[in-house]
Amino acid sequence: MRVNKSSAVGGSFRDPSGFVFVVEGQVYRQINQVYREDYDRLMTSGLYAALTRDGLLIPHTEADPALAQGERAYKVLQPERLPFISYPYEWAFDQLRDAALLTLRIQRAALEHGMSLKDASAYNVQFVGCRPALMDTLSFEAYREGEPWVAYRQFCQHFLAPLALMAYRDVRLSSLLRVHIDGVPLDLASRLLPLSTRFRTPLLLHIHLHAKAQRRYADSDVGGAALARGRQVSRISLLGLLDSLESGLRKLRWRENETAWADYYAHTNYSTAALDAKAAQVARFLEEAGPQRVCDLGANTGRFSRLASARGAFTVAADVDPGAVNLAYREGKDKAETNLLPLVLDLTNPSPALGWANEERESFAERGAFDLVLALALVHHLAIANNVPLERVAAYFAALAPQLIVEFVPKSDSQVRRLLASREDIFPEYTPAGFEQAFTRRYDIVQCVQVPDSERILYWMRQKAER
Amino acid sequence: MTSKNRLWQTLGVVVLLSLLVPRPVLAYLDPGTGSYIIQLLIGAAVGLGFLIKVNWNRIKAFFSKKDSGDASEQE
Repeated sequence: MRVNKSSAVGGSFRDPSGFVFVVEGQVYRQINQVYREDYDRLMTSGLYAALTRDGLLIPHTEADPALAQGERAYKVLQPERLPFISYPYEWAFDQLRDAALLTLRIQRAALEHGMSLKDASAYNVQFVGCRPALMDTLSFEAYREGEPWVAYRQFCQHFLAPLALMAYRDVRLSSLLRVHIDGVPLDLASRLLPLSTRFRTPLLLHIHLHAKAQRRYADSDVGGAALARGRQVSRISLLGLLDSLESGLRKLRWRENETAWADYYAHTNYSTAALDAKAAQVARFLEEAGPQRVCDLGANTGRFSRLASARGAFTVAADVDPGAVNLAYREGKDKAETNLLPLVLDLTNPSPALGWANEERESFAERGAFDLVLALALVHHLAIANNVPLERVAAYFAALAPQLIVEFVPKSDSQVRRLLASREDIFPEYTPAGFEQAFTRRYDIVQCVQVPDSERILYWMRQKAER
Repeated sequence: MTSKNRLWQTLGVVVLLSLLVPRPVLAYLDPGTGSYIIQLLIGAAVGLGFLIKVNWNRIKAFFSKKDSGDASEQE
């Protein structure tokens, strides 16, 4: 979130009901007069109470009306602060599916209270630790018997289509959400999905036939509008539609054994003793550094991230491997962890700023405000497998946080030897001395310790004051 | 019995309302003509299935009562 003096948040402009803005680092949501009736209904119908009680909606308090921006304001809300805003293209399979199921659950609760979701954007869902919750208080409108679910198309594009592609084609296709800001177009999903998905009723209906109907009625000459006019979707049909979407989602399975890293700890050359010694040393550094917000890069399934989150620091556990992140999320979900957020992030190409004027979705670094970067068993992948000069690695870490705990893995280590096995060694500066030289341009080394029973070195660094 | 009545009541209200309230949709999202039409069709198709599904226990109970009655007669 930007911390300017009173600025509208870039992604909050489509819905005329209101918008999000920031004043002196505090996030507010303005409700416009046009949304007055629906907001009052949300609050008085019991829906708000029911949703916040179950942790499905981010709670808010009503703030000083003097904060209102412009004359259209009805109320100003202060939502409970979220530690980190993440986006659907950074979520693993289970995260996106849980967000989808949450949306359906909320829509059902809304219908019970005489309301309906007027949008079903995946961007309206945020993770509080390993629990999804809806953050958009403006998503509700009065339900009128007979009306269709206006957000049905958006739900299919934001949730069902990418999840089906991830389950039936390739889990990496979640990256399509990064390209298509309003979800995966259904004609594209329909073309990419394997033939077998046409024999799965929910996918046949909600993706393949849905795409076909869109194509057929895209042209206004066909008379689709006249066909639709006046026709009603009964409540039973609507509930049936939600039920069909849910059963489709629940049948989707992520094929677990396809990714490279999820069994990393089982295949590492670390002995158990060395791994434990490394964990103990990282824990000591964390204790002394005392960060509130940690970003663990190359977190794998989050073993070391949990050293930070367990001592109370909000921790993003980022990894390039969607399988590892999925496992990290499942474990966090099982243990109801509230300050660990596993995310899929390719460090060689981190999430950029996206959307209208490149302002709707912020880049990964913009959203951070981290105190400490944890980079264990990572630098050799960046420096050797990706040819990123060590100085640039240091520069990116320094842009994310003032402190750093980093592990140097020397060339003699079998992991690095494997990376160098099939290529020419063009990295003469990749030595402990070269590493220290590159990093000490930006950082002071507070402490460095050789990991017992290994050739690796752990550093705790702090950025130089003048930078 | 009461839930059956409620069901008929709901259906009656739905039919009645569908005759009474032809209203424009005031949403900020475009539902999309094709998406609207497919929703009408899917809704009609899955609505009945959903009714059967949520009332499945009652339907099963209705038939199993009959079955157990038959069985005891045969014994």
